Amino acid sequence: MEARARILARIRKALKERPKALLPELPHHALPADPLDLFLRRLAENGAEGRLLDQEGALALLRELAQGLPGAAYGRGVPEGFRPLPELPPEEAPLGVSWALFAVAETGSVALSSEDGRKAQLLPPTHLVLVERERVYPTLLEAFQDHKALPSALGLHSGPSKSADIGQVMVKGVHGPGRLWVVVLT
Amino acid sequence: MRAKAKRYPKEAARLLRERPSVREAVTGATLHFERNRLRAYGEIDTEAWRERARRVKDHVLTHLDHYLELAEGRLRENGVQVHWAEGPEEAHRLLREVVARHGVRRAVKAKSMLTEELGVNPLLESLGVEVYETDLGEYLIQLLGEPPSHIVGPAIHLTLKEIQELFHGRFGTPPDAPPEALAQVARRVLREAFLTAELGISGANFLVAETGTLALMENEGNIRLSTSLPKVHVAFVGIEKLLPRLQDLALFLPLTARAATGQRLSTFVSLLQGPAREGEEGPEEVHVVLVDHGRTALLADPEAWEVLRCLRCGACLNACPVYRQTGGHPYGYVYSGPIGAVLDPGLLGLEEAYPLPYASTLCGACQEACPVKIPIPRLLLTWRHRAVEEGLAPAWERGAIGAFARVMGSPALYRLLSKALRGLPLPQELQVYLPVLKAWAEGRGPLRPSPRPFHELWKEIKEEARGG
Repeated sequence: MEARARILARIRKALKERPKALLPELPHHALPADPLDLFLRRLAENGAEGRLLDQEGALALLRELAQGLPGAAYGRGVPEGFRPLPELPPEEAPLGVSWALFAVAETGSVALSSEDGRKAQLLPPTHLVLVERERVYPTLLEAFQDHKALPSALGLHSGPSKSADIGQVMVKGVHGPGRLWVVVLT
Repeated sequence: MRAKAKRYPKEAARLLRERPSVREAVTGATLHFERNRLRAYGEIDTEAWRERARRVKDHVLTHLDHYLELAEGRLRENGVQVHWAEGPEEAHRLLREVVARHGVRRAVKAKSMLTEELGVNPLLESLGVEVYETDLGEYLIQLLGEPPSHIVGPAIHLTLKEIQELFHGRFGTPPDAPPEALAQVARRVLREAFLTAELGISGANFLVAETGTLALMENEGNIRLSTSLPKVHVAFVGIEKLLPRLQDLALFLPLTARAATGQRLSTFVSLLQGPAREGEEGPEEVHVVLVDHGRTALLADPEAWEVLRCLRCGACLNACPVYRQTGGHPYGYVYSGPIGAVLDPGLLGLEEAYPLPYASTLCGACQEACPVKIPIPRLLLTWRHRAVEEGLAPAWERGAIGAFARVMGSPALYRLLSKALRGLPLPQELQVYLPVLKAWAEGRGPLRPSPRPFHELWKEIKEEARGG
């Protein structure tokens, strides 16, 4: 604890004469009436593929994506009905399917909880995320206001994994999934 | 990392001479980042966002003891083991313990400037631990044995050709392999490392005091993997990284992404509360190391403390005409560019970082780009002023500036002198011997005074404007 005491003492000494700055209020956002449109647009701009589908349509898309694949890795929250393929370990699965905690229109992001898992969100080259329509927030601010009790890890995913570190050329799927599908369930 | 800032002018000149490709690569990459930032700033009420961010950071910094204790308490409640470190010594001691207790043979690392400060990689290597940098750019420079050249894009000084040659020699890829193929090779090597490492190491972009949340931003997914797969995660966090409330992330995450790369949000954001809970995937053990390493000294500095607002977005590097010429290596320390020029003297002491405050044109582009409005030009002048006071600046500077001030203060003297200079063009041989001019003239053509003085031209322009 020695370093702790020394560091805190130095901070207190440094701040003794310093005028205290006030914490600004949180901003008020002008919210879009229906964030769904914005969410799908932003997803596309981020290089992800977003769809608004009912249960049947979602299953049809899932089957289409799954064609020819030996299996998929599933998040714990993915309902039985959305598991058309045999389950494979995430290390081997060509497809990962997750159930999102929420989504954010402003940034085109899905929020994935560690309660759903982690490997299925990161290791397969293609990632399909399911999110319920009423869980699409207009802004990050509102989403955080509603989720003060966070899981041990929350991942915000806003598109496929990418890097321009090699000669400034954009490469997809560097470590994480190179394709991101998001299905908003009606 | 040992600081080599004192050699800045020599190293910059050498790099420009010996590796002209760096200038091309860095200018191209920074202009690209800069265009993206301008576009992203254009979408928002930038002034309002920056002002709010500045005020939040000032609030945290002027209540830092309170927020550090709050964060520490929350982290502990979340099951995180919290440590405090003055600098490398304590950080190394903790890592040694973790390595010994868990029999760590292999570590995966997310890009972090603070771990560069602390020399984490050399320490782990000395303990026989294989360390993999997992950010693609960071991995490239690790293979080359180089330090990062940019806060956000550590390998922006490398051309595709150089990387092709590196991979050809190292992995036997074709000498003209496209970037996708090179990335595939790196992905294969690093995937294996993610799956077998016992230890994951990261920094943090933010630490939210209210919830004890570590926030990490990236585009590749390597941070999420490094903090998810190994059974132990150690995060090194500078004590200035605190934010008060979870909702403050709603401002700081998008603002940092816009400033750094022109994105609305980086592709992956990890918000980490602690070790995996019952039945979850994730690390069994999470350590957060709160690191000072010169920050409290900066906080105590009444003229220079505002630099602690820095979010490490790299926007000021991209905007800087000086940085664009050479990239980060000649600056000789972890932090380069305009922010390095005002942060390094604070962290290292002015004597160690002496020439850096001069590595600027004072054009102000850095301040305009800064998402938290750090007054970089003013801080550069503060450090220059101190360098003169402390006798670090060469004696000619004080004399020359005094003479310059006298001449500029008297229109008659100025006119007389500029006339005399035009009458007596400096022969090139003389330029080779004069101080200041000698350094300036290297690699340039001879100095020639303008044939007509500025005040004549100015008078003409004004008359034209009046008449036309």
